Amino acid sequence: MSLAKVREALAALVAASQEELPPEEAIESVTEETPEAAAPEGEQAEEAAAPPPPLVDTNHAKKGFHLDVTVAPDQVVQAAEILDGEKYTIEAVTGVDWIKEEQMEVVYDYCDTADFSRVVIRARIPRATPELPTISRVFPGADWHERETHDFFGITFVGHPDLSPLLLPEDADYHPLLKDFTA
Amino acid sequence: MSGYFKELISGTYSLAVGLGITIKYFTQPVVTMQYPMEHVKMTPRYRGHIELVRDEETGASKCIVCGMCQKSCPSGCITVAGKKPEGSKKKVLTTYRLDFTKCSLCGLCVESCKPGALDFSKDYNLASPRKEDYIFDLLKRLEEKS
Amino acid sequence: MSVFAESQTQETFVVNLGPQHPATHGVLRVKLTMDGEYIDRAEPILGYIHRMHEKNAEVGTWAQFMPNTGRMDYLHALAYNFGYSIAVERAAGIEVPERAEYIRVITCELNRISSHLLWFGAFVLDLGGFTPLLYAFDDREQLLDLLETVTGSRLTYCYYRFGGLYNDIDENFVDGSRAFIKRLRSRMPMYHNLVTKNIILMKRLIDIGPISAEMCRKYGATGPVLRGSGINFDVRKNEPYSVYPELDFDVPVYSECDCMARYMVRMDEIDQSMRIIEQALDKLPDGPIKPEKVPKLIKPPKGDYYAAVEAARGTFSIRLVSDGTNKPYRLKLRSPTFSNLSLYEEASKGMLLADALALMGSLDLVIPEIDR
Ligand code: SF4
Ligand code: SF4
Repeated sequence: MSLAKVREALAALVAASQEELPPEEAIESVTEETPEAAAPEGEQAEEAAAPPPPLVDTNHAKKGFHLDVTVAPDQVVQAAEILDGEKYTIEAVTGVDWIKEEQMEVVYDYCDTADFSRVVIRARIPRATPELPTISRVFPGADWHERETHDFFGITFVGHPDLSPLLLPEDADYHPLLKDFTA
Repeated sequence: MSGYFKELISGTYSLAVGLGITIKYFTQPVVTMQYPMEHVKMTPRYRGHIELVRDEETGASKCIVCGMCQKSCPSGCITVAGKKPEGSKKKVLTTYRLDFTKCSLCGLCVESCKPGALDFSKDYNLASPRKEDYIFDLLKRLEEKS
Repeated sequence: MSVFAESQTQETFVVNLGPQHPATHGVLRVKLTMDGEYIDRAEPILGYIHRMHEKNAEVGTWAQFMPNTGRMDYLHALAYNFGYSIAVERAAGIEVPERAEYIRVITCELNRISSHLLWFGAFVLDLGGFTPLLYAFDDREQLLDLLETVTGSRLTYCYYRFGGLYNDIDENFVDGSRAFIKRLRSRMPMYHNLVTKNIILMKRLIDIGPISAEMCRKYGATGPVLRGSGINFDVRKNEPYSVYPELDFDVPVYSECDCMARYMVRMDEIDQSMRIIEQALDKLPDGPIKPEKVPKLIKPPKGDYYAAVEAARGTFSIRLVSDGTNKPYRLKLRSPTFSNLSLYEEASKGMLLADALALMGSLDLVIPEIDR
């Protein structure tokens, strides 16, 4: 069962990141406080207080994937290597703009075609400086997906060979999927 | 060397088989339709541009000016307006404009219309070089049809 | 490639293939750096019909995005309708009545056949044979007529609804489908005699355009490209949705990795789709085509959802992020040919230009789906 193997390795990765958390938190706390201060609704404050666990075994029938892992932004390459080692294939890379939380989320969808399972890797990055390393060295197929994500969200994939617009016009300096984008 | 000749023979044979098929079809009747001379009959479910439906009793449109079609249209190409005549409770349709340049013929408006005041027309010969020709006044079309 | 290495000189020149080129079937531009007749680098340049469907989705309600799904892959629009319906049904917890599921499968498979027929004609046209295209279009025309009578449109269908269908099939549909399958069954040997066994086609496809299984994996290639490289993966089998588990069909797999393998996979898929349709027609139950109660305003609970279907070109999947309102917060469309085309640069290196076009045809590109 490659899913079980991947789960184990990713759990170790997540655990490693949580040990390192204190210094990271110091940087992130600035951005994390803003929505709480700005948002009057109690619902949001609650959400920020209790983030979902980093590794969730999801119900495939309900969600459409088996494993949902949140890693630190600098660990996405390690996560990709783990999945590459277990012969997973890359399905898509995309972003989500969480404007209220001042964060962006990068989502990687992996799929095992031999022993079917789907794994989702996420990483949250601050919205003001959306940067994280590229996985296109591990999966060359991620090259275009990352370029597309850069087009739509302005997320910079550090180390990517060519981040010029793929789907947008070549002189585009806007990122249409940002929630504050207006045409 | 024998492989070479074998391939030569089987290859030529495959070409002859293909040619035989095309010759066979050459002698069969034409399957295409001679379009401007002949016309296709549209199926009952064919989705042309939308049209107002006449109420058989009153002779006017069935529309109650609820605005659901305008709200449900993904392309925003419907404009409806109505007013209440003196002493009447029901609104009467005064404008029904369809911007056909933007319409994607999805049919969501027809589905959302509770009184069944909308239907698809079966027109498909709608060519024009001018954009303005595609801003349809459906109320006027309804009157003209009578 | 050894030929390439031998012919390597210092001189290369750049040729633009497209954006308006018959072999790219749409508006794809490939910037070719050529060394004589050999390709040094082929860089696809996309975005000529980019329409930002993903932003469109965020503007309207859940239901208002349905017409857009048929406009991505215009050749297999119903699979895209299907994928989006499944995603939203999964998110909002809507049950689909059995009759609706069967009709969905039948129409989706009919649409797959029409897509493969068009691909077949266009692919042979790319290789220089004009006649098969006309025969394929003849068959496809019958199919489109059949689908038009139930769905109301010929190409950009918008037939499925959350929880069911737009309307039920009409009385002629079942007989019409059976008659069509009978007709196509009798025509398939003709196609194989005319094209598959043709020596010119064989010479142009066998051992041309190798794509290894490993390359497929690294680039996320799916569909017939993957199955032509010996990997047995079909969402209909591996992650069954709708009523596919109740139907008996095979997944054609060829392990030659060349253009011929991809050609054969698609031709066999037509046969398998016919099998699926026949069984589904036999099993078609009576009943409603919509659930009793579909909420008028669909508001899926917060969270994200994933749904994948097997379209004619590979895995089409949708990632939905809902924030609990009546509009999608984020909707990611993962189109199969986007991934399939991304391996083109690596796969075409060192090939003859004419062979590279055969390779491109064997990927079965639909540009509006790549650009979205
Ligand atoms: S068919 Fe669709 S796009 Fe056209 S007017 Fe109706 S709702 Fe709007
Ligand atoms: S939905 Fe029907 S009744 Fe309501 S405004 Fe539109 S056409 Fe009139």
